[in-house]
Amino acid sequence: MELYHVELLSAALFALGVYGVLARRNAVMVLMAVELMLNAVTINAVAYAAFLDPGRLVGQVITVFVITVAAAEVGLAMAIILRLYRVRATANVDEADSMRG
Amino acid sequence: MMEWAWLIPSLPAMAFAFMATLGRRMPNWTAVAATGSMGVSFALFFFVFADWFGAKSFPDPGTYTFIYSIDWLRAGDAVLTWGMWIDPITLVMLGLVTAAALGIQVYSWGYMAHEPRFTWFFAVHSLFAASMLALVMADNLLLLYIAWELVGICSYLLIGFFYDRRSAAEAAKKAFITTRVGDVGLLIGILLLFAQTGTFELSAIFAALEGGELSDAVVTGAAILMLMGAIGKSAQFPLHVWLPDAMEGPTPVSALVHSATMVVAGVYLVARLFPFFEASESAALLVMSLGAVTALGAAAMALVMTDIKRVLAYSTLTDLGFMMLALGAGSVTAGMFHLLLHGFAKAVLFLGAGSISHGSGQTDIRQMGGLRLRMPLTAVAFGVAALSLGGIPPFGGFFSKDEVTLAVFHGQFGWFFLGVALTVGFMKALYMGRVYFSVFLGRLKPGNEHAHESGWAMLLPMFAFALLGGLGGLLAFGYTDGYQGFGYFVFAGDHQEAFHLNWWIAAASTVLAVAGFGVAWMAYVTGSLSTETVIAKVRPVHALVVNKFYVDEAYQWAIDRVVLTLGNLIAFIDRAFVNDVGVNGPGVVTALSGAVMRKVQTGKLYNYALGMVLGFLAVAVAWWMAQ
Repeated sequence: MELYHVELLSAALFALGVYGVLARRNAVMVLMAVELMLNAVTINAVAYAAFLDPGRLVGQVITVFVITVAAAEVGLAMAIILRLYRVRATANVDEADSMRG
Repeated sequence: MMEWAWLIPSLPAMAFAFMATLGRRMPNWTAVAATGSMGVSFALFFFVFADWFGAKSFPDPGTYTFIYSIDWLRAGDAVLTWGMWIDPITLVMLGLVTAAALGIQVYSWGYMAHEPRFTWFFAVHSLFAASMLALVMADNLLLLYIAWELVGICSYLLIGFFYDRRSAAEAAKKAFITTRVGDVGLLIGILLLFAQTGTFELSAIFAALEGGELSDAVVTGAAILMLMGAIGKSAQFPLHVWLPDAMEGPTPVSALVHSATMVVAGVYLVARLFPFFEASESAALLVMSLGAVTALGAAAMALVMTDIKRVLAYSTLTDLGFMMLALGAGSVTAGMFHLLLHGFAKAVLFLGAGSISHGSGQTDIRQMGGLRLRMPLTAVAFGVAALSLGGIPPFGGFFSKDEVTLAVFHGQFGWFFLGVALTVGFMKALYMGRVYFSVFLGRLKPGNEHAHESGWAMLLPMFAFALLGGLGGLLAFGYTDGYQGFGYFVFAGDHQEAFHLNWWIAAASTVLAVAGFGVAWMAYVTGSLSTETVIAKVRPVHALVVNKFYVDEAYQWAIDRVVLTLGNLIAFIDRAFVNDVGVNGPGVVTALSGAVMRKVQTGKLYNYALGMVLGFLAVAVAWWMAQ
């Protein structure tokens, strides 16, 4: 397994995430797509650390941090989505457009 | 005592402050405060006068100037000062102004007694006198200018005293705006001198002038600019139009304006800044020419006016022109002497005119006649003043007129201006005779039967001024080593003059003055000279003069056609370009661009996300291209 295999996987995951963010209407789905993009980044970090600088575990440590922060972020985002659902009776991001100019 | 001379203007100013604030609560004290403070100022004048004589060393004929000033504020290198400058010219003016203001205030007790705004009248009257006193004592041009403008605003308030009458309000506005035209010149002149010398102080400016630090162009320019101020205030041609209209004010105000304050301020200014006119022949010639034009034109208008106060107003213009003639010819002495004696005589004439209209209710001299039968005392005082201004010896006006005529003869273009002065002298006698004869002599005309003599408060000042004006000629002669005549007293540069008669000129002017009164006698008493016949012979000229040479019409035309057109054009540019394009333009552009750009803010999450992605790609592509 070479580094570029992992890079392809990461790029594919990131592209999926971007597509999800742009195409999905359900806020939960959008959130999941964001998580996909995050994971693509962490895979990159782990891969670079393992292939280019083995032994120092910098990428792995950063990844653990990212996962922790992502968990907190998901908690926050889910709370917002719940509030949105309570207020607008929908989790559809199309209808949350009160910032329209 | 001279250090305390600042009290002379300060006391009436304090009286003004008192009356303007507390006057309504204590109406009984207003006249007392005004006249009392004026009286104390008048008394102080004598102390200052005596002190000045004590300080001057005799028999040195040179002038002595007492200067006392304090720093007011510093701005960089420039120090502004408040100060007093007391020299003979100041003393003459202080005496004239305090005496005239005091006498006229006493007169006003009687004349204004039934006015509802009695307090305000006395308050502004006091401020008027105070500002004039400050003006003649100022030792620097800035203080002089402040006092100058105060005089202007007081004249505005007093001319417009009956502001509910439209003509009075218009006249006040006209006086203020017309003099303002000249004041702009004065201000520029003062600032020009400040730019050149870095100081407003007269002593430093005169030192710079004598030291040759100022170029000829600056001297002439400053002289002409400051002359503009004098033209406005002293109502010289072409800014003379406000003075006759200023008759709308109460008569005591006219008396004060015409005798001691306001109009003589311009003459005083030229006398004060005389070194400039001495240094610049062209400026001096301009002063003379304007004086000659004013004197001739005004004398002609005084001959045809029918309102008594208007006749007197034009006679003031004539005499102001006369003073300017003397100053332009290089004689401060003659100018100041005529100013002093004219001031006293003109005070009597205006107070007399007030007394006449108060007693008879008439202002048109054609409706008057025979008033000597009803108002004998007024007739006597008025007669003395008329003879004095007409230039009949031995009354005061003869001496001052003679001094002026002689000075003019010795000045530039002596023969020409001598001719002007003698002609004006004849006309002065003629119109003085006309007024006096048609008002007081002849049969009592219907409508005047109920005329009555005025009270003592009005008669007393009239007689005091008549005495001063009648006997004032005595001042021309020397009596002691200390006082060797008016000419030595008002010493100015190389023009120290003892009073001397040139018998030919004196004889000619006396003959002309008597002839003037004689012609008036024939025309208005015996009727052997029909005015209608004379008018018929010079009808076009008469029409021109009766219409005041169409100067007012010319100004009206210029304002309507030129100023208003220009104003409308500028207003249009202001509306169309400055307002619509310059100010509203950016607003419209912002609103329009906002209306377009707001569509970008859809509020849809994926639109923003797409924007971010595209932006990122654009940056990435740009970065990749730049590699």
